[in-house]
Amino acid sequence: MSSSPAGAAADSVQKVYVHGTAVHRSWADRSASLTDLIFSATRTALERASIRWRDIDSVVLGAHDVTDGRSLTSMVTAPAAGAYLKDEIRLGEDGASAFVLGTAQVRSGSCGACIVAAWGRASESDPDAVAAALFDPFFSQPLGLTEITVSALRAGAALARYPGYQEWRGPAGARRRAAAGVEARRPAVQLPLRSGELPVWSDIVAVAVLSAQPGPVEVRGVGMSTEPYQVGDRDLLGLPALSQASGQALRSAGCAVGEVGVLELDGLTLFDEALALEAVGAASAGDGMRVLAQRSDINADGGFAAGYCAPAMGLVRICAAAGRLTGGSDLALATGSTVVAAQGQAAIVLSRNQGGG
Amino acid sequence: MCPVRELAIIGVGQTAYRRRHDCSTPELVSQAVTAALHDAGIPMQDVDIVTGGFAPDGLAGENCPDKRFLPAAGAVGRWSMRVNTGGTTGIAAAYAAMDLLAARYGDIAVAVGVERMAQAVNVPAVFNSIFDPVYERDTGLSTISMGALRAARMMMKWGYTPQVWAEVAARNYAHATRNPLAQITRPYTADEVLASRLLAWPIRQLDACPISEGVCAVVLAGAEVAQRGRAVAWVRGRASCTDTYNMGDRFDRADGDLVDLLSLHRATEKALGQAGLPSAAEADVVEIHAPFTHAETMAYAPLRFCAAEDGADLVRAGFGRWDSRPVINPSGGPQAANPVGATALVRLAECALQVRRAAGERQVPDAALAVATGQGGASQFSTCTVLTAA
Amino acid sequence: MAELTADQEPVPPLTIAGHWDFRYQYFAGDAASRFFHELGNGRIMGTLCPQCQRVLVPARGFCDACYVSTTDWRQVGDRGRLETFTILASRFPGLPDPPVVIGYVTLAGASTALLNFVLGLDLTDVEAAATRLLAQPAVEVRFRDQREGRITDFFFQLADA
Repeated sequence: MSSSPAGAAADSVQKVYVHGTAVHRSWADRSASLTDLIFSATRTALERASIRWRDIDSVVLGAHDVTDGRSLTSMVTAPAAGAYLKDEIRLGEDGASAFVLGTAQVRSGSCGACIVAAWGRASESDPDAVAAALFDPFFSQPLGLTEITVSALRAGAALARYPGYQEWRGPAGARRRAAAGVEARRPAVQLPLRSGELPVWSDIVAVAVLSAQPGPVEVRGVGMSTEPYQVGDRDLLGLPALSQASGQALRSAGCAVGEVGVLELDGLTLFDEALALEAVGAASAGDGMRVLAQRSDINADGGFAAGYCAPAMGLVRICAAAGRLTGGSDLALATGSTVVAAQGQAAIVLSRNQGGG
Repeated sequence: MCPVRELAIIGVGQTAYRRRHDCSTPELVSQAVTAALHDAGIPMQDVDIVTGGFAPDGLAGENCPDKRFLPAAGAVGRWSMRVNTGGTTGIAAAYAAMDLLAARYGDIAVAVGVERMAQAVNVPAVFNSIFDPVYERDTGLSTISMGALRAARMMMKWGYTPQVWAEVAARNYAHATRNPLAQITRPYTADEVLASRLLAWPIRQLDACPISEGVCAVVLAGAEVAQRGRAVAWVRGRASCTDTYNMGDRFDRADGDLVDLLSLHRATEKALGQAGLPSAAEADVVEIHAPFTHAETMAYAPLRFCAAEDGADLVRAGFGRWDSRPVINPSGGPQAANPVGATALVRLAECALQVRRAAGERQVPDAALAVATGQGGASQFSTCTVLTAA
Repeated sequence: MAELTADQEPVPPLTIAGHWDFRYQYFAGDAASRFFHELGNGRIMGTLCPQCQRVLVPARGFCDACYVSTTDWRQVGDRGRLETFTILASRFPGLPDPPVVIGYVTLAGASTALLNFVLGLDLTDVEAAATRLLAQPAVEVRFRDQREGRITDFFFQLADA
């Protein structure tokens, strides 16, 4: 990766601003189709951005065919996100990756204003069956793995290596349980994970409206990285892709993680959130669970327990971060992890635009 | 706005396109990417970004199969993204890479388009499940019948006949005999096309594309990297446009009828405008992404070859044949091989080979300007890319 | 430990059988729910876009071309124009034996066309049937006696049949 994306080329790219966001969460609302949910959230984000739909140049989406039960989902769903006669592209990735691509389109100067949207509607499908199908049919599927299994393997490794994880999982989990939705919507427990440490499935649409025109929040840095596919080839505790992605994002923003007041880190379970804190450098190795327990401002909405469905979650964290910046802090770091079990990571540094907008 | 960074295609690698039971998906990806990097003269360590296209997941019977093959394209430790836009998936993966390079998030990117559809035992059922489950799936709609609905309307409006489309097929099959990567290398005649099995009236077996697998990879770079004295293909124009899903909303629509292919019309208008061209007829080579013969002719008016009602006469006059200009689909086009997740990238890759004069036996002499289209969804996702030699 | 060398006998490529079967419950939402409910009353309804004034059939909650919510409901006529058609020649799970005709029809009062089966046509000679349909004959809606709230609760047939 270019070591100085913000350096020599800075005057040949556009600054990018977040003008409006919307996050919709519900469960099995029979009054609304998937496209109704997407339309409603996107309209809300546009209204908050005070940008007219006709002034939008491009639409970047994050959605999965199998989650949506539509074998080419954007064919049916993209127009609901405002794609009619626009430049539109759909990633089969987490919404944070879509946000990076949308940012690139504006930054490059080829696009003035962009809608980024990502969604997942867990109530229409069977999230456990969908997750099981993510594993390759030759080596992994016969073993019945899901993404929760990989998180359980992470949890087991963390508990074995770091004493603080056992000590602090209770208090950290208690705070997440306080934010949690309905117990019946959690996946089956896979030890050593406990029920309250697991996500609560939800129907989620997240939308952000970007523009090169100055707005309340500036995109200051982005980073991405990718891990191997096979779980056995990965560093389950170190999350190297997240370290690399957040390191790039912070470097390109010209700041250190200690200066970042708002942390919104995507994690499927309590242990994924704690390990993410370590990977981005906000906690030292082994100390992530303690920091998560003691800092109620990390994923203040309740994180995975407030409702979860891939691939919306990275964009949910970005939207939350943008919202919290307008409330006072100057810098935010938001991250999003992609299937399979955080194989890819994207990190975004946002700042409050002092000049307003 | 700032000037947008200039980009070029500096390498191409392709596997042969057919049913590939001999290799795993990651092995095929590795072969194509290795070939593309070799063609570019770039070592993997210089690559910043990897984008991958695959579509749809149901054809492979794997959920997010990209996660298994992107590492074989070099994704580990790098930026990576998987794109899925149906038929345009492959070119959209290249566009995503171009967007990231244009934003100066890197200098070199690899884009791969991948297809594994022979893993699907029941392809029509997968293609039915792409349609709206509420209003349209119950009618048994598939990509073939979706195409046939357009073909019939072109017959109603513009006087097309199956004979005209059989001529188009015969030309594509003739061109494919020059392409060692093609799946169908037999030069079927127009009469053989007309005698082939009826799939969905008026579409016959040889009007349609085969079930193909394989991988296409391209290496893309910013201008500073591309200028190294090697032949490259400059990206002079590119645009993408998405129309409504609802086919029923497009009949006699003021902006354009269902068969006017408004999305391609808009994408072409923008891409040709960027390149300063009045018409794609100025090109030496045009690779049209059309999995059916009628769909190729549906692209003629959007590409500014002719007025929509004159398309049949254009075909009858021998348009697009080898000794004319532009040559349409010197590779044989999707009728000779249509690996869905790769096919729109194959169109781009073939154009890049042509303007780099690296297309071998299918090289159009002195090709310097080429146009590639992409088409997907419910004939609703369209792309147009203009490449030049200099 | 045994080592394999490059000149080993090739083994046959392995194929593992799989199946792709996920259960879904698609929420049709308010607009489509009312559309299907009204089919039960023998009526085909569309929604009005307040901006472009199109009557969108089948009904939906928003107009994607104007990007606004639809407002009022309108009943449309039961006769219309066949915009296009195809005659399916291949067998498909759940469908009657081929040949089967499907077509888009714009009903009187509607701004958009909807897709359904066209029944009652003599298909013994497919080419002759196609020639007849190319002339875009008037068609009319026929409701089935047993309706279950699906698009297949009705079909089209030629008006002069």
